[in-house]
Amino acid sequence: MHKYLFVVPPFFGHISPTLSVGASLLQRGHQVAWTGLIPLDDSHIPKGGEYILPTDELAMHQEEITRILRRQDDGPRLSGAETWKLALEETYIPFCRIMMNGLERVVDDYAPDVIISDCITFAGGLCAYKKQIPYVTSTPVPPDIGGQHIDALRVMEWQSKLMYDLQRSVGIDAPNLVIHSQKLNIVFTSSEFAAIENPEPHMRFVGPVKGRPNDVPFDWQRLENATGPKVFVSLGTLLEDIREAYFAKLVEAFANEPVTIIAATNPKIRDSWPANFIVQGFVPQAQLMPHMDVVICHGGFNTVNDAFANGLPMLITPIAYDHFHTAGLIEKAGCGIKIRYKRLRIADLRYALWQLIANDAYRQNAMRIGQSFTAAGGNERAVQLLEDFAIASPENGELVV
Amino acid sequence: MDIITTQPVSSGNSDVFDTLKGFITEVIGEEFMEDLDITPQSSFTKDLEMDSIEIVAFSEKVKTHFGEQIDFTGWLSSMDLDELIALNLDDIISYIQHARH
Repeated sequence: MHKYLFVVPPFFGHISPTLSVGASLLQRGHQVAWTGLIPLDDSHIPKGGEYILPTDELAMHQEEITRILRRQDDGPRLSGAETWKLALEETYIPFCRIMMNGLERVVDDYAPDVIISDCITFAGGLCAYKKQIPYVTSTPVPPDIGGQHIDALRVMEWQSKLMYDLQRSVGIDAPNLVIHSQKLNIVFTSSEFAAIENPEPHMRFVGPVKGRPNDVPFDWQRLENATGPKVFVSLGTLLEDIREAYFAKLVEAFANEPVTIIAATNPKIRDSWPANFIVQGFVPQAQLMPHMDVVICHGGFNTVNDAFANGLPMLITPIAYDHFHTAGLIEKAGCGIKIRYKRLRIADLRYALWQLIANDAYRQNAMRIGQSFTAAGGNERAVQLLEDFAIASPENGELVV
Repeated sequence: MDIITTQPVSSGNSDVFDTLKGFITEVIGEEFMEDLDITPQSSFTKDLEMDSIEIVAFSEKVKTHFGEQIDFTGWLSSMDLDELIALNLDDIISYIQHARH
């Protein structure tokens, strides 16, 4: 049996798959802990696992952490190039510096056999390298391996310089970048969807892992009585600032169309909703999906994965961050239509929705990607990779870093 | 990148400006222009909120109109992030004037 330590950022989309894989590891009898830089409610931690927060070392950074988290709300107002800077210079690198001391102590105390660090918590990889502990990278979204942007080359250059500087600043003088594991990088999507044909051998695509059951009450009778195609709309849990404007556009586009919209958002953002809108703040999304015909979302991974699992075509309205990359992949795979939120016209919204309903190719393609997710192996595959990695690594004296 | 000195906006430049403004309208759509007050100082990514697809479409129009020697995309890809963020219409007018000579 092995001891695994997950290092996670304060973003639930990144934490979520590690909780699922962690639960599977615990069931197999392994020891599992998580560490990060903000408190995580106990209810999220699978039975038998623990969340270790280095409170003392983080105490002096509280203001900065709060400021960085708040800064993320600016995403929708930033251009692509500014988003790169926000991510790397204002978020990941500061997080790394903030985490390093506390993380080193947690690692010394817990003494894991394997560290699994999220792709944006650079401290996990650097700390593991320093302490010669085998480490794995976990990547929750399809990696954006450049090439599509005008600025791709310069971005790569800038990015790797910042990362080398960061490595050196924590005392690592390696000839290559060690922030991400070169031995095992578990990616929670399929290589087919990520459109990476010949991935490097350490990149292992396991598909999405099991979500957590959610049995929030829902007015199923009203859904059953609803007529016309059923359209699920979600903006995820973030992006509070633009919610009202976003749903105002959907109301304008679909209030008088023969469809039923099931919207996962707080109903209070509007004084009234059209009769064909079923609106609820928190919904049993996984149970709802099999009843839907189309999904409208911004490209957040939770909803996208649920849509694929049910072979549903998508109307994607990317707003910020990695939404554009995900939306591009969905369009490329023929599973949906992308309309950038900043250029969202009512007529285009309507046209796109009816296209997705009328043309069965979108659905066929979404089913194909859904099948590639299942075939990638999910939890079982992730656990197998992590077990094999732990066995292959330390006692044999093999240098795994 | 080559630093192109910004020249004062002469009448020739203002013709170029109007042409570019027309291209921008074609690329991003009339209805999204209403809220935008386009000036030579308007930045592409921040003020006009153009994404890379729109910038490529725009550069194709520039090339067709001003001639093949205007390698707008190549010029852009030589910039670092801060230069891209700061890039405004005036920079492009200067670039076009410079490249045509």
